[in-house]
Amino acid sequence: MQIKDCMKHNVVSISATATICDAAAIVVKRHVGLLPVLDEQGKPIGVVSLRDLLELELPDFVNFIADVDFVHDFGAVETTRPAPEELAQPVTTIMQPITTIPEDCGLLRAYSLMLQHNLLDLPVVSKTGKLVGIASRVDVGTAILSNWPSQEAKEQ
Amino acid sequence: MIIAAAVLFSLIFLVSLWLIFSEKLNRTITAIAGGALIVGLGKLLGFYSEFDALAAVDFNTLGLLLGMMILVALLEPTGFFQYLAVWAGKFSRGKPVRLLVLLGTVTTILSMFLDNVTTVVLIAPVTILICEILGISPLPYLVSEALLSNTGGVATLVGDPPNILIGSAAGLSFNDFLIHSLPVVVVVWLTALFLLLYLFRRELAVRPPKVKAVLKLNPAEALNDWKTARRVLIVLAAAILLFFVHNLLHLSPSFVALSAAAVALVWVRPNINETLRKIEWSVLIFFAALFIMVGGLEAAGVLGSLVRVMERAAVMPPVLFGVLIIWAVAGLSAIVDNVPITIALIPVIHGLGAAGVDIGPLWWALAFGAGFGGNGTIIGSTANIVVATLSEKTRTPITSKLWNKRGLPVMLATCAVASILYAIAFPLF
Repeated sequence: MQIKDCMKHNVVSISATATICDAAAIVVKRHVGLLPVLDEQGKPIGVVSLRDLLELELPDFVNFIADVDFVHDFGAVETTRPAPEELAQPVTTIMQPITTIPEDCGLLRAYSLMLQHNLLDLPVVSKTGKLVGIASRVDVGTAILSNWPSQEAKEQ
Repeated sequence: MIIAAAVLFSLIFLVSLWLIFSEKLNRTITAIAGGALIVGLGKLLGFYSEFDALAAVDFNTLGLLLGMMILVALLEPTGFFQYLAVWAGKFSRGKPVRLLVLLGTVTTILSMFLDNVTTVVLIAPVTILICEILGISPLPYLVSEALLSNTGGVATLVGDPPNILIGSAAGLSFNDFLIHSLPVVVVVWLTALFLLLYLFRRELAVRPPKVKAVLKLNPAEALNDWKTARRVLIVLAAAILLFFVHNLLHLSPSFVALSAAAVALVWVRPNINETLRKIEWSVLIFFAALFIMVGGLEAAGVLGSLVRVMERAAVMPPVLFGVLIIWAVAGLSAIVDNVPITIALIPVIHGLGAAGVDIGPLWWALAFGAGFGGNGTIIGSTANIVVATLSEKTRTPITSKLWNKRGLPVMLATCAVASILYAIAFPLF
């Protein structure tokens, strides 16, 4: 089984000219965790993840205090929103480098890449570099597990 | 020959100070390179050898620092500092002025007995947390913590590195500091606190929107390891009690600190590699290398000529001379690290003593100048650098412009009050 057999073919992406606010709206509407950013030619030049967007609202102390379990109520932080001028910035300001894999990549290699680079979604490209799909950790993981010997195999 | 060496060594020392000041080179690397250069040239010219260099290192200072660092390294992972800061936040009931006073007091009291850099490093993150959940800017609190801990540290022998250096060089005991320095520091500290409340009056007038969240914090939950914390605190308390009588028992402060560290290590039995990783070796090496550099300056007669220059100034009334020292040292400490300044001035003051000047009061002038002077600029003390660096990772970074508006007035006020008290109580010093 290859990554192209378990990936989602319908990739939700965003253009490089969009704002952070646009990115957030698309993420909410389409319920996805990762948006590839495409240039005018439709070539992926980076990604904006749910995590990058949430970084804008995350309190600073989370970066300093290793264990925040004792803080049961985040108080003012819970209702703090990013400033409108911050959200009007182009999406390219928070864009991260894109990690892609070829569509014929094996599932375990795909999963290992995601694990080591801490990726939750992995954009898939064709031989010509065109974005053809996207696979989440759950997509890849369940595809791997589906190959495990089944109940019928045990009975045989 | 010796004049050439004196010029060369002064040049090396001044270039090193400049490198540290301009942040062109890390201060410890600068000191190691400068030390090696001075010993090498001293050997070549035949008046400063490895043995002289080793003899120039004040191991009493290094031992005291190391002992206290080990105690802090054991206390840090227990969450005790976090516990105190959370307690201060909760007890303030979210009132900004109360929060500033409480956090400032906690930081000051801790930094009177522990290294104030460590104290600030551990209290500042919790300060950011409390302010964020309250919905207010942490800036006034972070700046105040650094300034108040610098100021408070002057009160005790172990409070800040210049005091450890001066105490060791002048043979001043823990109690000498409590008698001479503490009363002055109490007044100066209160001055600094009220000035800060005034300087930050606009920020402190804002009513935090979310007080309830802070009230819900439970300090006990922030304390991860009460068992270890209790053991280290007991040892620390015993060490402080021993400090009170160390002169009487003829124990050096470094022996007290290192024995306390030994007892705590045996009692807690931590993973020693992890504990030792927390020791600030770069600070210890910085001190050792500076001792070696200044030893070279002394051997080359540089400090002797400085003594002769200052001797001429010492004909003025002693009170005036002392006040002059406070301001000169404070000015230098605001611009450059106060540790090299103190290490370099100690032999000079000893030299003045040998020339017949009454140097008893001068040690205190040096301690006040080095301690309060560090408040003046963002790079004046390590605690200032630490809070500024931490704040750079937040949405409200502390800039050097802001420090000039808030820290500099505090430095000027503290030095002024210290000078007045010094002049009034001069016969007692």
